[in-house]
Amino acid sequence: MSAWRSLLPNAWIIAAREYRTRVASGAFIAGTVILAAIAFAVTQAPILIDYVSGTTQTRIAILVRASDAPRQGAAVLDNALNGGTGAGGHKEYVLTLLSSTDISPAQVALEKGTFDGLLVVDRDPASGNLAFTLRTDMPSDGRQVVMITSALHVLAIEDGLERAGTSTASVLAPANLQVVPVSTSGSAKTSNLTQSISASLLTTGLIVLIFMAILTYGAWVAMSVAEEKGSRVMELMLNATTPIQMLAGKVIGHGAAGLSQYGIVLAAVLAGLAAQQPLRQAILGSSSDLSLGGLQLPVLGTFVVFFVLGFLFYSLLYAALGSLVSRQEDVTSATSPLTVVIMLGYFMSVAAVQSTSDTWVVVMSFVPFFSPYMMLARVSAGHIQPWEIGLAVVLLLAAIVIALTFAARVYSAGVLLYGQRVGVRQILRAARASR
Amino acid sequence: MSLIIESVSKRFGDVQALDAISLEIAPGQIFGFLGANGAGKTTAMRIVLDILRPDSGSVTWNGSPNTRVSRETWGYLPEERGLYARMKVLDQLVFFSRLHGVEAGRARREALAWLDRFRIPEYADRRAEQLSKGNQQKIQFIAAILHDPQVLLMDEPFTGLDPVNVALLKEALTEMRDEGKTIVFSTHQMEMVEELCQSIAILDRGRLVESGSVRDVRRASGRQVVRLAVAGDPQIGWLDGMDGLRITRRGQDFVEAEVGRDHDPDMVLRAALARDCRVLRFEITDPSLEEIFIERVGGFDTSERTLAPRSESA
Repeated sequence: MSAWRSLLPNAWIIAAREYRTRVASGAFIAGTVILAAIAFAVTQAPILIDYVSGTTQTRIAILVRASDAPRQGAAVLDNALNGGTGAGGHKEYVLTLLSSTDISPAQVALEKGTFDGLLVVDRDPASGNLAFTLRTDMPSDGRQVVMITSALHVLAIEDGLERAGTSTASVLAPANLQVVPVSTSGSAKTSNLTQSISASLLTTGLIVLIFMAILTYGAWVAMSVAEEKGSRVMELMLNATTPIQMLAGKVIGHGAAGLSQYGIVLAAVLAGLAAQQPLRQAILGSSSDLSLGGLQLPVLGTFVVFFVLGFLFYSLLYAALGSLVSRQEDVTSATSPLTVVIMLGYFMSVAAVQSTSDTWVVVMSFVPFFSPYMMLARVSAGHIQPWEIGLAVVLLLAAIVIALTFAARVYSAGVLLYGQRVGVRQILRAARASR
Repeated sequence: MSLIIESVSKRFGDVQALDAISLEIAPGQIFGFLGANGAGKTTAMRIVLDILRPDSGSVTWNGSPNTRVSRETWGYLPEERGLYARMKVLDQLVFFSRLHGVEAGRARREALAWLDRFRIPEYADRRAEQLSKGNQQKIQFIAAILHDPQVLLMDEPFTGLDPVNVALLKEALTEMRDEGKTIVFSTHQMEMVEELCQSIAILDRGRLVESGSVRDVRRASGRQVVRLAVAGDPQIGWLDGMDGLRITRRGQDFVEAEVGRDHDPDMVLRAALARDCRVLRFEITDPSLEEIFIERVGGFDTSERTLAPRSESA
């Protein structure tokens, strides 16, 4: 095959042209900016959620009618309700200790909505314990009421201890709990359920990434082939290069443009994550643990390998189909069979994430059309032998070589067919007739 | 050193696009490819360039098959004009030149020199879509020759150019011919062929009906043409009755007639003198290429046979 002899430098020159043209196009720039902005925004979402939930304050007025109630009572409640919040942090519960023991002005303020609840503290003369009354429209089984109930429990204990004459300082000291990891790897494990959920979410996310890349960037390749054919620049190209050089150049050029876009979006994600802590500090005044739970190296490696190979395989087929139409408008309909196959693989693998050991999943994970997604699902589930991954890669590589040969033949004949309907017969005839 | 096409045949579906065509095109000359629309000219060029493969037959350049000849050998100006619409003219020329193995810096210098020569240096930084059709055609011509090909094939290079640009292109072609390049072009414009070409081939529905040097082709018809003008009688009515003579044109200045194979053209002059006419002009010449073309191709077949835009042929 003389066409194989000299892939370079022409494939490289074509790839560079395709890359420059694609990256300079308005659609690419706009798409990248929008995607990066969305990615950045998504990374900030936790802050927003915390901020919104954090700004909801529950204001409680406290009216103490029991004159011998603990003097530190308000502080005890405050500590119990807002315990997690550091100094200067945002308080979810705002407690106001009323100076008057007259209930009527407090009632008025409660009805006006100045307070969300009015807590009246009395002394039950029968038992001698503190008696609490909470007047509020908050649901009695709601989170706030539950929190207040447990805080009052602390206060009641405090009161009892004080009456028994025990020093309260030691009792009120915060409990000191040390968490000791079980595994030797050093990090404390979250619960199995949480981990498997985050792992399968991540896997689904990676599958979506591959799916989007193949659909979007494959369509770019098909469009650019059709554009070349539509503008009739194709004949000049055919004289200057071989179909394989053209194919390789196009696939590499658009693939690189796609990777650039992903790279920029990824950079936005990383920048977002990096900005998350300072932003959180500035907005919420608190920090939180940043975790990319479940992100394992084998999964990432599989993702990269199958991302690249899957794109190569499908974009060659896209190029072949793109060469069969004369106008860009027809590209979508000509490539629709391929789109269906890609969607099928996507849905199958999303289903496979939940049941990776089923026979059909194992079988499909070796089929080159589906292995880019299915293998990812299986690898992240972990029930897989290394040779299985190797076999899938070898099969996919073989499919790429076949696709390249087939695509080059269809392409070199297809680009000279103008104004014809595309059918299986045309494709086969084109493949047979060409050089 | 010549381009040899040997009994090349190509069929598309039920259309015989080329039927055992054999041609030898010597280097250092301009070769004209004539034929009605759909005669097979474009197919023949594509086969020579190895863009299409023939069903049978072979093409060799300097003795080696065209499938092994390096692509830098060929320059091609396709009939369907096309450039990358949104790419700058200069970038475009450099791109095509680099694909043919020319180093970028040299490609750039030569592209600028050619733009200058074709009087469009100011278009170097414009995008192709901003140029007029004629100017795009000049850009394409430059793209075809920038890598200094040994063989230049052009499909209808003159259509759509104004007279000034036709002259510029002719000058460039004769210059390349003098450098020893082999130049082949197809056209319908016979005066262009008579002016530029040393040899021609006439194709008709895939068959080669005539080939050779322009002079030989004109002579080989075996017919001769006389042109006669006499004072005071522009129509020269008496010619109508002459045996072995067929009037082909009654112009403003002269009457043109074809002399039968077994007659002597001198008989026209003798007859005129015998009638005491004052002869203003008498000329014996070979039939024009146009006449031969019409005769050989059997009049213009108006049915389009061009393969490219048709839907039922493949």
